[in-house]
Amino acid sequence: MAMRQTPLTCSGHTRPVVDLAFSGITPYGYFLISACKDGKPMLRQGDTGDWIGTFLGHKGAVWGATLNTDATKAATAAADFTAKVWDAVSGDEVLSLAHKHIVKTVNFTQDSNCLLTGGNDKLLRLYDLSNPDAAPQEISGHTSAIKKALWCNDDKQILSAAEDKTIRLWDRSSMEEVKTLTFDTSVSSMEYVADGQILVITYGKTIAFYNALSLELIKTVEAPASINSASLHPEKDFFVAGGDDFKLYKFDYSTKEELESYKGHFGPVHCVRFSPDGELYASGSEDGTLRLWQTAVGKTYGLWKCVLPEDLGTESAEQLYASTPEIKA
Amino acid sequence: MATPVPVLRLPKGPDPNSRGFDPNSPRFIALCRTSISSSAASESDSEQLQKEQHARSVLREGFLRCLLSMTNKKVQFQMYENVKVEATFGASDIDVLNFQVSDLHTPIGVQKEALIRCQDVISFTFDI
Repeated sequence: MAMRQTPLTCSGHTRPVVDLAFSGITPYGYFLISACKDGKPMLRQGDTGDWIGTFLGHKGAVWGATLNTDATKAATAAADFTAKVWDAVSGDEVLSLAHKHIVKTVNFTQDSNCLLTGGNDKLLRLYDLSNPDAAPQEISGHTSAIKKALWCNDDKQILSAAEDKTIRLWDRSSMEEVKTLTFDTSVSSMEYVADGQILVITYGKTIAFYNALSLELIKTVEAPASINSASLHPEKDFFVAGGDDFKLYKFDYSTKEELESYKGHFGPVHCVRFSPDGELYASGSEDGTLRLWQTAVGKTYGLWKCVLPEDLGTESAEQLYASTPEIKA
Repeated sequence: MATPVPVLRLPKGPDPNSRGFDPNSPRFIALCRTSISSSAASESDSEQLQKEQHARSVLREGFLRCLLSMTNKKVQFQMYENVKVEATFGASDIDVLNFQVSDLHTPIGVQKEALIRCQDVISFTFDI
């Protein structure tokens, strides 16, 4: 009995959603943060998409957002030339870090003590959060705006992708460039999978997988349309991708076969990420929404409820699904 | 003809009147900074701070021992809205958010098993 994927739409943002990130699994479940051009990043419960709170304070579009592993802290990068650190439990702004240009990307180390930022001033900055008044360490080298920067290799190294069509690997202690990858076109997204040291990169219609330590190419997969973001499943059996044709694609990682594709968004997909338990993936789009998609369609998880064939006569799927979204007064 | 996967409800959207981060959520109560921070006097004086910390430990231990000795005893709870109820105390959860009680005598009858929300309780008494 074939089941059709029912995406869960998370509304609330009023402008395109440009970045999203999941936390690790905490005693309270896992969480999702979304960066939006409306300047108001939101925190949601990861498995249901329920809104928890909005981080208020930025005065411009938020380009990047991240959570630390236990979802106690959040960091955001914005067009108001600041990166901010937030208490993700109370929603309070904890730190505002002034930059000289639009900040595009933020990333915590595993111990949450150091924040990496990057943006249009072409510099990578390392902020010691236990000593926030101290000047950050700066790494220069990129010749164009930095789009994404990530800690890797147990926080001993940094990976950065910029408009100069390069991805560079830096050593944290020496602050020196270790390796560079050059492309014909600007990389649209980058994801680091610590377990297995895999780097997922997208450019044009290509999703490429690299060894994160050696920067050696593992494989490339071509998608039917221009891809803006891709994410590898924690168990590395699937990966998902989304881009300019508004669709989400799911591929088999070993065979590179396209398994499923879904329409749903009303605009290009800007970001897609698997949840830490791999049970769902979230996508953010130009249409201002986030959508949650099941990895195993039909499985009971979060708000999705498995209905056995014998129940289908009594319990109409339409009845359950056709409720209007509730807005808490 | 594939059937769409049924959903229990749609994800909850933002509250138009607040920025969220519900202070009554279990996560907020468990993780937010203690509502009672150390007194101003002890902030600067480490000896004073030690004394204060010791006093806090004594009070905390006393409270926990009190909960232990209450087990299976009849306890009277004084609650808000002039509510006085009696029940047999079972246990408290780790964050002292709820008390599990049995035979809760209420104005509308006896509830065999119940959870009492701790924030609704003003005080409670029992015979040792």
